[in-house]
Amino acid sequence: MSTRVPTARAVGYRSFAAPRLQHLKLWTTRNRNKDVMEDTKPTLVLDHVSKSFDEFAAVSDLSLQVRAGRVFGLIGPNGAGKTTTIRMIVNITAPDSGRVELFGQTMSTALQDRIGYLPEERGLYKRMKIGEQLRFFAELKDLRGAEAEKRIDVWLKKLDLFSWKEKRTKELSKGMQQKVQFITAVIHDPDLVILDEPFSGLDPVNVELMRDTILEQKAAGKTIILSTHQMEIAEKLCDDVCMINRSHKVLDGKLREIRRSFSRNAVALQFEGGDGLLNDPALVANISQHGDDTEVLLVPGASPQELLRRLVEANAVVTKFELVEPSLHDIFIEKVREAA
Amino acid sequence: MRKFLAVVKREYIQRVRTKFFVVATVLGPLIMAGFTVVPALMLGYKSGGPTRLAVVDQTGKMYERVAKELTSGKKPSEEIEDEEPTQPPTGSNNPKEQVDKGGKLFRGSYLVEDVRPNGRPIEDVRRTLEARIQNHELDGYVVLPADLLKEGKAEFRARNTADLFTDSYVASAISRAVRGQRLVDARIDEKSVESASRPIDLKTTGAEGKESKGEVSFYLVFGVGFLIYMTVLLYGQFVLGAVIEEKETRIAEILFSSIRAFPLMLGKLVGVCLVALTQLGIWASAFLIFSAWAAAGSRIALPHIPAMMFVYFAVFFLMGFFIYATVYAVVGSMVTTTQEGGQLALPVVLMLVAGLYLSFNIIRSPNSSLAFWASMFPFFAPITMLVRIVTETPPLWQILLSLGIGIATIAGLVWVASRIYRVGMLMYGKKATIPEVWRWLRQS
Repeated sequence: MSTRVPTARAVGYRSFAAPRLQHLKLWTTRNRNKDVMEDTKPTLVLDHVSKSFDEFAAVSDLSLQVRAGRVFGLIGPNGAGKTTTIRMIVNITAPDSGRVELFGQTMSTALQDRIGYLPEERGLYKRMKIGEQLRFFAELKDLRGAEAEKRIDVWLKKLDLFSWKEKRTKELSKGMQQKVQFITAVIHDPDLVILDEPFSGLDPVNVELMRDTILEQKAAGKTIILSTHQMEIAEKLCDDVCMINRSHKVLDGKLREIRRSFSRNAVALQFEGGDGLLNDPALVANISQHGDDTEVLLVPGASPQELLRRLVEANAVVTKFELVEPSLHDIFIEKVREAA
Repeated sequence: MRKFLAVVKREYIQRVRTKFFVVATVLGPLIMAGFTVVPALMLGYKSGGPTRLAVVDQTGKMYERVAKELTSGKKPSEEIEDEEPTQPPTGSNNPKEQVDKGGKLFRGSYLVEDVRPNGRPIEDVRRTLEARIQNHELDGYVVLPADLLKEGKAEFRARNTADLFTDSYVASAISRAVRGQRLVDARIDEKSVESASRPIDLKTTGAEGKESKGEVSFYLVFGVGFLIYMTVLLYGQFVLGAVIEEKETRIAEILFSSIRAFPLMLGKLVGVCLVALTQLGIWASAFLIFSAWAAAGSRIALPHIPAMMFVYFAVFFLMGFFIYATVYAVVGSMVTTTQEGGQLALPVVLMLVAGLYLSFNIIRSPNSSLAFWASMFPFFAPITMLVRIVTETPPLWQILLSLGIGIATIAGLVWVASRIYRVGMLMYGKKATIPEVWRWLRQS
C-alpha cells in the first residue's frame, strides 16, 4: 500500500539526523507493522505511558506514534484521558511511567518552544489588550521584537481580528477569543501544533476558517495533533487517529485503513433497471432500503466490483454507487462494545 | 531567564498602568495622614459658639474666682503655670499637639453666668436651668454647694457628658478657684505659693543625645508599622488575585506549556513586588521633596527620618512581602474562586494583624523578651523588628539574625510553594484539601 506523505517533506526539524537512526531502530523492534514503518520520522513517540491521579488512572499504558506532516486525531469521549495525554506531551505533567519522545529527544522544557498548544480550557487575560497578550505569549515561546510584532499582525489579519488588536479580551466575543487563543498556539511557528477541541464555540463560518487554517499548517509541513470528542470532525481532517476510552487505547492507525478494515462490504446504490439482479445469494447477503438508497450488504469475500459489473451488464442506470464505510463513531462504538 | 523576565514585565506593566495604582499612589499618603491627623483635629477643634455655663454658687463667695478661672482659658495641665505656655512647634502634624492647640481655642469661648438661688430651693433652680438646657439656651451648669471648700465636691451638669474636654476643663477651673480660696482662708500668700509650686522643666532626650519628641516618634513608629502592614497586605492580596485569575481562566495551562512553574511563580512575585517598590519609592521621594521644601522656610515641619530608616523599611518590606506573597500564591493555587481564596487566606491575614498588635506592646518596651522573640518570628518580624528599630535600634546582630531567619523562611516557603503551585494550578473543580496538598508536596 502506498503512502501519500512524501518522506522528504521539509519538516522544520532542527537537529534530526542523529536521533533519527535511534528512532528507526526503536521502530523496527517495537513495531512490526509494515505500514507504519514506511512513514519514517515519527515526530512524537509515546512509549508505554501511564499517569494516575491518586487512585484514578487517567492514562494506562498508552503507546502511540505521531508522524511528521500529518494530522493526528486523538479521539475519545470526554474523560477518556485525552487532555492528560496532551499535558504529558507538552510537558505540563510528567508521566508516572513510560517515556515521551519528541523530535527524537526525550521530552524536556527546551522542546516546549517547538510545540504550540491550544488547550481545551481557553484562557486569556481578560483585561489585557489582544496585541499585548499575543506579544506576551510569544515572549514565553522565546519569540520577541520586530519578528513577533510582524507575525502578530499577519495572524490577526488572517483571522479577521486586526481591528481588535487594541481591544481588551473581555470586549471580544467567545469565537474571537478562541481565534486569539489559536494564534497564541501558532505564533512562534512551532513544528508540532496541538489543538484540543479547536472548534468548540465557533460559528460555521469560523469553523470553516479554522479548518482551512489547520490544513494550511499541515501543508506547511507542521505536525498536528487534533484532540476531539467530535468524531465527524476527526473524520474530515485526520490522516491518522488514535481512539482512547477510559484511559486505554482502543485502536490506532491510518484513518483510511481503519475504516476499510471495519468495512462491512456494503454498497449504497441508486439505480434503475436490472431487475432481479440483486437476488443472487452468492453475491448479496442482505438488501435494505435507506431513503432513496438501496444498501446492499455483499457476502463476505464478494467484490463490489463484481456487483458493479453486473449492473452495467444488465444495462441498469446507476446514479449512485458508493462503498459504505462505517463512521468513526460506529467503529468506536463497536470497539468499545467489543472490549466490554 | 528571558521568559522569567517576560512574566515580571507583564505583571509590572499591567499593574502600574491601572487606574487603581495611580489613585492609590496619590491618595495613599492622604489617607494615611487622614487616619492619624484628622481624628486628633476633630477632637481638638470644638465647633459652634462658646459654651454657655451657669454657675449656681451656694457658698456665696466663690463665683468670682470660678468665673475668672473658667474664662481664663488655662488648660488642665497648665494649672499651676501662670505664664503663657511655650508655643508648640508650628504646624506640627503631631496630633497630641494639635489637641493642645485645640485646647487653646477654649480661651474666651466660655460664657459664664451667675445664677443666684436668692432663697429659692435648689431643686427649683435646677428645674429652671434644666429647662434652659432643654431649650438650648444653656450648655450646662455648675452647682457649688455651700460646703465646697470643706468637702471639695461640686456638681457639673452638661448636655453633652461625652465632651471630656469641657468636663476636665471645668473640673480644673473649679479646683484652682477652690485652692486659691483655701489659701486665702489659710492666710497664705497666693502668689508665693504659685511661684513655689511652678513645675520644673523636664527636658527629655533620646539615647543619641537628641531632643526627643515622645509623641512624634510614637506616631512615626506606629505609622511605619502600619504602612508595612498595609502594603504587605495589599500587595499580598494582589498576588492572590493574580494566581486565582490564572487558575480560574485556565491561563496556567498555556503558561505551563511554555515556562516551568518555578520561574513563573517567582516572576509573578517579583513583578508585583516591583509595583509595590515603585509605589513606596514614589511616596518616599514625595516625602523627601516635601521635607526639603518644608525645611526651606515653610511653617510645616515633618518629623526627621534618618536615611537608614528608608533602607531598613525597604529591607523589611521585601522580607514581609516575599513571606506573605508566597503564602498567598500557595493559597491561590489551592482554591478555585476568589471567595474561597479570601476564606483560606484569613489565617494569613490574622498573622499579619497579630504582628501589628504586638508592635503596640513593643513600642512601650522595645527590649523585652517578648519584643525579641516577636521580632525573630519570621511572620511577625517585618512589622515588629522594624518597630523595634524605629523605637530603639536593637543590636545589629539581632537585626541580622531576624533577617537571616526571614531569608531562610522565604527560601523554604518558595520551595514548598512552587511544588504546591505546580500541581494546584492544574487542579480544577474543587478546593484542595490539606492532605491532598501534603501528598503533592511529597510526590514532587
